[in-house]
Amino acid sequence: MREDPSSGFSYGPELPDEMRLLVMLHNIGATESGKSLTVQQISEWTKMDTPTLQFHLQKLIELGYVQFIQAEGTDKYHLTLDGIRKVLSIYS
Amino acid sequence: MLSWEFPPRVVGGIARHCEGLAKALVHDDHDVHVVTLDFPGSPSYEEMKGVKVYRTATELGHPNFLTWVLLFNHFLEKRMADISRQVEFDVLHVHDWLTAFAGISFKHHLKKPMVLTVHSTEIGRAQGLHNADSFSIDGIEWWVAYEASRVVVTSHSMKREICDHFHLPWDKVDVIPNAIDVTKYNASVDRGAVRARYGVGWGEKLVLCVGRLVPQKGIEYFIRAIPIIAQRYPEAKFIIIGEGWSRDYLEDVAQSTGHRWKILFTGFISDADVIALMTSADVLVIPSIYEPFGIVALEGMATGAPVVSSQVGGLAEVIEHDHTGIFVHPRNPESIAWGVDRILSNPDHARWLTQNAREKLHKTYSWEAVAMKTVEVYKKAVG
Repeated sequence: MREDPSSGFSYGPELPDEMRLLVMLHNIGATESGKSLTVQQISEWTKMDTPTLQFHLQKLIELGYVQFIQAEGTDKYHLTLDGIRKVLSIYS
Repeated sequence: MLSWEFPPRVVGGIARHCEGLAKALVHDDHDVHVVTLDFPGSPSYEEMKGVKVYRTATELGHPNFLTWVLLFNHFLEKRMADISRQVEFDVLHVHDWLTAFAGISFKHHLKKPMVLTVHSTEIGRAQGLHNADSFSIDGIEWWVAYEASRVVVTSHSMKREICDHFHLPWDKVDVIPNAIDVTKYNASVDRGAVRARYGVGWGEKLVLCVGRLVPQKGIEYFIRAIPIIAQRYPEAKFIIIGEGWSRDYLEDVAQSTGHRWKILFTGFISDADVIALMTSADVLVIPSIYEPFGIVALEGMATGAPVVSSQVGGLAEVIEHDHTGIFVHPRNPESIAWGVDRILSNPDHARWLTQNAREKLHKTYSWEAVAMKTVEVYKKAVG
């Protein structure tokens, strides 16, 4: 990971890993289907290894904060509206 | 007007504040342009009841929060540069630190006065400055307050806080309370149907709590009051509306009370559903430990929900104890339970409180009044 993005959240204990990933996806702009990213692209930004990334992405999908689309023969991920609101609730 | 949130991008109170103020200013024949961030499904430009809204895409991202803030400010500046080629502004109004960079830059570029509304502070939200980014945000808040010609806050407690913390001259800061559009709260609601939809049966009490699930809202103390309330009102149901990063922790606290099955976390729900639930509640609890204003108190007053609130910040100025609501001690479950009991055990008194609250709301907290006072601040800024 380039920097610890949770360092910007000064409001309490450190965020769970999947929430930190959600925040990073938001901040790098994966907020709608046209801006969705592959696991490899997300990994480049977050420096998370693929199994860890896929584990957290799966959890975020189950929570309804992330959805995936199939494009160009691969899965690409972006935040849902609930995911965006979740991130914004962290910031405000 | 510069704001990082504007409907439908609604995070906290800033979006609703900007919307209410902007529409009231337009109603008063002012030309209002709002520059804000984009939101999926919303157009990049639209007019909302005369308010010109420019939604700006952040074309570059970065995982670090502060870097991301700098980036979106850059794109806000670019958008404002485009707009300012066609529109001559008289005053720039920035809301909170998140759009400080674009606001300060444009103040100097346009050579026009900048007004800042401080909705909350980092030191208040975080109850201290605990890490490097928090210090940075605190510094940016000081900077934008320094650069502003005039500073607006929504309560006298906030004025004391920022004058003390940022060493601002007392006469640079104006207090203009928040407001709500009461017409939104006049909808006819079938209370029985709403309560049934949320699992509240006939004869059961509905105790409602509304707020973002973050520590400053004090929801943990409300949850810890539930076992005490349930001793006297075993049939009561507890609904918590809101979303936030501490939700998992709060659900764990709810589990630990032994009353988890009586507690519903709704997450984010629509304004219409919030209003329907408030209108259907027997009591609305606002357990905040830090609250610069507390617009949820006005919403409760508008819907006729009896309000039990912490006596903190702006809430202490909005509510009059035992006249328009009931005050309780912050961070104190026993006190919260006492306040809820005071409402539930005396329906006639609760009705009297809500009547008084509605009267005060109509007299004091309208957007028209806020717009008039804000225009006076603009005039002072323009000089």
